Amino acid sequence: MRAFSFSSTPIDTASGRAALADPACGGYVTFEGWVRDHNEGRAVQRLEYEAFAALAEAEGERIVTEAIARFGVQRAACVHRVGDLGLGEMAVWVGVSSRHRAEAFAACRYIIDEVKHRVPIWKKEHYADGATEWVNCERCAHPGEHVHGAPAAAAAPDIAAVGAATGADFSRQIALPEVGAAGQQRLADGAVLVIGAGGLGVPVLQYLAAAGVGRIGIVDGDVVEASNLHRQPLYGVSDVGKSKAAVAAARLRELNPATTVAVHAERATAGNIGDWLGRYDLVVECSDNFATKFVVNDAAVSLGKPAVFASVYQYEGQLQVYLPREDWPCLRCLWPEAPRDGLVGNCAQAGVLGPVPAMLGAMQAMQALKILLGLPAEAVPALHVFDLLGMHWRTIKSARNPGCDHSPRELQASAIDPATLEILFPTLEAAHASGLTLVDIREAWERAMDSPERQIEWHLPLSAFMQGAPALPPDGRYLLVCAHGVRSLALAEHLRSLGYPQVYSLIGGLAAFE
Amino acid sequence: MKTITLQYFAVLREQAGCSEERLTTAAATPAELYEEVRVRHGFTLPLAMLRVAVNDEFREWSTPLVANDRVVFIPPVAGG
Repeated sequence: MRAFSFSSTPIDTASGRAALADPACGGYVTFEGWVRDHNEGRAVQRLEYEAFAALAEAEGERIVTEAIARFGVQRAACVHRVGDLGLGEMAVWVGVSSRHRAEAFAACRYIIDEVKHRVPIWKKEHYADGATEWVNCERCAHPGEHVHGAPAAAAAPDIAAVGAATGADFSRQIALPEVGAAGQQRLADGAVLVIGAGGLGVPVLQYLAAAGVGRIGIVDGDVVEASNLHRQPLYGVSDVGKSKAAVAAARLRELNPATTVAVHAERATAGNIGDWLGRYDLVVECSDNFATKFVVNDAAVSLGKPAVFASVYQYEGQLQVYLPREDWPCLRCLWPEAPRDGLVGNCAQAGVLGPVPAMLGAMQAMQALKILLGLPAEAVPALHVFDLLGMHWRTIKSARNPGCDHSPRELQASAIDPATLEILFPTLEAAHASGLTLVDIREAWERAMDSPERQIEWHLPLSAFMQGAPALPPDGRYLLVCAHGVRSLALAEHLRSLGYPQVYSLIGGLAAFE
Repeated sequence: MKTITLQYFAVLREQAGCSEERLTTAAATPAELYEEVRVRHGFTLPLAMLRVAVNDEFREWSTPLVANDRVVFIPPVAGG
């Protein structure tokens, strides 16, 4: 069967299905478009379809070929009706067969969206009141505002509609054949969670909002510091001391008033990220520490969401995309020994030039937009390593690690870097399992309000520490726990200065597990 | 003996004082090669913290090296 064809008789889906059958395929996805009884508030009784066949078939075949190449599916085809159609009749059929279902769904959606957007097909609607109207192809979705012609001109009405509402104008990206009005709609329907609003997060947030992504979540518990500004120019001197997430949200609303921005002015933990990520299409990881990166990895894997990771060090950066596929490596596949924070430098210790995170963040934004648009973000899994001093970019192919089951691993006390002061655990059980001795430093009244299963056996309230020498053997390994991780951090620092080499603070405190 | 190309990133680049070098070595595997350059450059990162790529693919530390291989030692980085 031809990849794209017109039919003047009812579409024979059985023979379409048979033509796509392939023993290598584990899935078959199909879409049927039907004639419905209303359009823009008017009752429709029947339709006539007319196509400029020579041009339309060539464009249709191009779309199907693109879908096969882009998504790596086995076979695909599309049949569009021409002529008279009654209510409920099938106007268009798309079929895709593939080894795995995810590619089949993506390719099927790509074909129908692109066919409606690019193939010149006109539709004459016959209304219940006896009137008729040519309403033509979808790329001219607003009759009367548009003259049929070159594809570039076709985008105009959509831009006018969006721009009138918000002041935003997406014409320069809608002009891309891979975006078009359908792609712009996908961005508007898309939702992205961004972890960290620092050097990487700033360009990610700016470009996603500016591109018209409909919903963006910002997770960052830090406030703006003067030392941030050289690499986070979304903020200004007058923002110093304010919540990064809140300031960023205000800037994004200005950039694109149509974007809904959710502010989570706290650190991402195993306890909170699942609830948030469940409501987004993908996550872009822009934090500055391994603990958060692995928390984000685990949440993305368990919820089946794509994740775009990046990290920088001085003049270098690393970029990795996780896609929720059986054969795709996660962050733990690449780094089976979850690296310890403190062992390799961060921006504060090692220094960084502003354009380094800016470039990596811009690439993260690019990958995120490609995922939302249904374009392939990565042909094969890889770690991209950038050296911006020498101007080299190496793409190192990676693969699923057979030793990695894609599940969170518990941190053992023996693997903790002594330079680390704060540690993040996904659960209270994992903290117990680490081998560290947990010490609850909250006051007695706070403990009394807790549920019994959250009780930590050893209780030494902060007030007792303040009154005298702590009753802790100095050679032990302790994890101090309070409500939110603020008092425990202060006390851990204090005890280090008193000669306790292995005292740590639980990041986020017990609230992280709620 | 064989000649291979070595590339360093992040803290390894800092400690080596260069981002790339050509090296004639008897090392049979990336693990032996890392030990050789670790001693020479005073690298502080243990092998277990690193990943190695040979000719732009992640490989096991025991992969046999051949002449003209391009070996990259990659430390994890976390800055953002």
